[in-house]
Amino acid sequence: MLKLEIDIRLQRGSFPLNMSAHVQEPVSGVFGHSGSGKTTLLHCIAGLVKPDTGLMALNGTLLFDSSQKVMIPPHRRHIGLVFQDAQLFPHLSVLDNLLYGYRRLSPNQRRFELGPVVELLEIGPLLERRPSQLSGGEKQRVALGRALLYSPQLLLLDEPLAALDERLKKQILPFLRRVRDVGIPMLYISHSMDEILYLTNTVTLVDHGRIIGHGPYLDVLGQANSSELASGLDMRNVWEVTILENLREHGYSVAALGQERLILPPAPTTAVGGRTVISVRAAQIALSRQHIEGITIQNQLPGKILRIIHRRHGALVEIDVGVGVAVVAEVNGKTVEDLDLCKGDKLYCLIKAQSVEYPES
Amino acid sequence: MTITPEEISALYLSAKVSAWATLLSCPLAIAIGWVLARKQFFGKPVVDALFHLPLVLPPPVPGYLLLLSFGNQGVLGRWLNEWGFSFAFNWKGAALAAAVMSFPLMLGPVRLSFKLIGSQLEDAARTLGANPWSVFFTVTLPLALPGIMSGTLLAFSRSLGEFGATITFVGNIEGETRTLPLAIYTAKNLPDGDDAAFRLIIISLVLAFGALLANDWLARRIERRLGMR
Repeated sequence: MLKLEIDIRLQRGSFPLNMSAHVQEPVSGVFGHSGSGKTTLLHCIAGLVKPDTGLMALNGTLLFDSSQKVMIPPHRRHIGLVFQDAQLFPHLSVLDNLLYGYRRLSPNQRRFELGPVVELLEIGPLLERRPSQLSGGEKQRVALGRALLYSPQLLLLDEPLAALDERLKKQILPFLRRVRDVGIPMLYISHSMDEILYLTNTVTLVDHGRIIGHGPYLDVLGQANSSELASGLDMRNVWEVTILENLREHGYSVAALGQERLILPPAPTTAVGGRTVISVRAAQIALSRQHIEGITIQNQLPGKILRIIHRRHGALVEIDVGVGVAVVAEVNGKTVEDLDLCKGDKLYCLIKAQSVEYPES
Repeated sequence: MTITPEEISALYLSAKVSAWATLLSCPLAIAIGWVLARKQFFGKPVVDALFHLPLVLPPPVPGYLLLLSFGNQGVLGRWLNEWGFSFAFNWKGAALAAAVMSFPLMLGPVRLSFKLIGSQLEDAARTLGANPWSVFFTVTLPLALPGIMSGTLLAFSRSLGEFGATITFVGNIEGETRTLPLAIYTAKNLPDGDDAAFRLIIISLVLAFGALLANDWLARRIERRLGMR
């Protein structure tokens, strides 16, 4: 498991960086605006940038300690880094790019082999090519494979999708999920919260050189309530479902979320029995004290309020609907008062089929 | 038109002197070019100017300075003599003169190509377990190859044409320091030397043209290998 301790200070440009965090979750998303210092944070962890003072340790090994004058160079940290624009070596073939880090490991350090990684990322037909002959999405998949084959103890991803257009982003997202599922701890930088939530529910908020929140997204939204950054953030539910029926000619699919059945827009690519990811903005979910008949909203999940988090403009209501993951609905402050919502209350979550999105397509 | 043995020897000598001059400067230009491109240190502009001096000085000046330091009476010359090595009035001196004169021409492109290689590619290599030497030999150097190639060609061509510093430092000795330019100059000064000068000029043209074509071919091969075409 991962244990990353960060407590560093660094003067960079106009404002000082002062970052502290204890990261133990296997996958965290680092969110912040451009210039907030998140890339510098990643480069400090990788060893490419040396902090002025402070301390960093990974899984009990000291990476940096200014008081003891310890600075482990990047090539001995065993931390992988995927750059925004892939940074494949232009003079090497795709195959030699993939094996660049792998060849530097002794056999007992290798956790992944070429064949399975090539298969996972579907890059088999590209092996003989040069990076200049690849598309943006292909480059990024090769860069992921190259980092994976180095079997890092931590994989840092610096906005790996930022240079891609919307269509390509959606193509690469599932591969990031696959990489996540092979069990390498990841820190994923992005300025898209949707991308982060698709991969993980653990979020690190970076603002003006400081880490202003770290933990489950909903908790962070509650803690960092007062900050401009957090109050501007959207809450989104991301669930993995199993498709039960595809009635495309009737314009819908039926999926199972735990024991609950959901009516969804037609699943674009997933066959019956297949798993897919759906996402619904919290603001799109309505709440009702009773089951409503004669309404166009077909999904009405019964549940119990776990907690209510008050935000600057309204509240987030977390509801246990008995499927293993909670549903979060965003309502305005007046609703909470008028309906007198309290922890433990029973109510229905109303989810309009049309508000459900498929992030992978 | 028959080419005399003296002319053949001038051609051979020119090729030998230029090849050695380039061979000598190449590793040096790579090391110094890298330092100048990547490192900041006190007095960098002075060091930079020093290496570029031969480009702006009248060639006899560096030639004379070489004579003062590496000649048999010079400090370095005497020291080298003790080791049984001498640059004085032989082809090695001609090679040294050519190396000094052509060095700035090699340094320029080499340094520029090191500057142009993004440090991000090197960072990528470092986060894949490559130590600084590996990064240099597997990423930086291969990517700088086109610059090194064009620097090498420039230096080689400049060495073929080297005249002023050579004649000042090591004189004009047939078979030892009389390279093509010196042979043309000598032939032109003889009453019946016009034919010989003309033949030497033809040889120079062929040699220069061949070098340019070879460079173009090599550059294209390298660029294809680097995925630039």
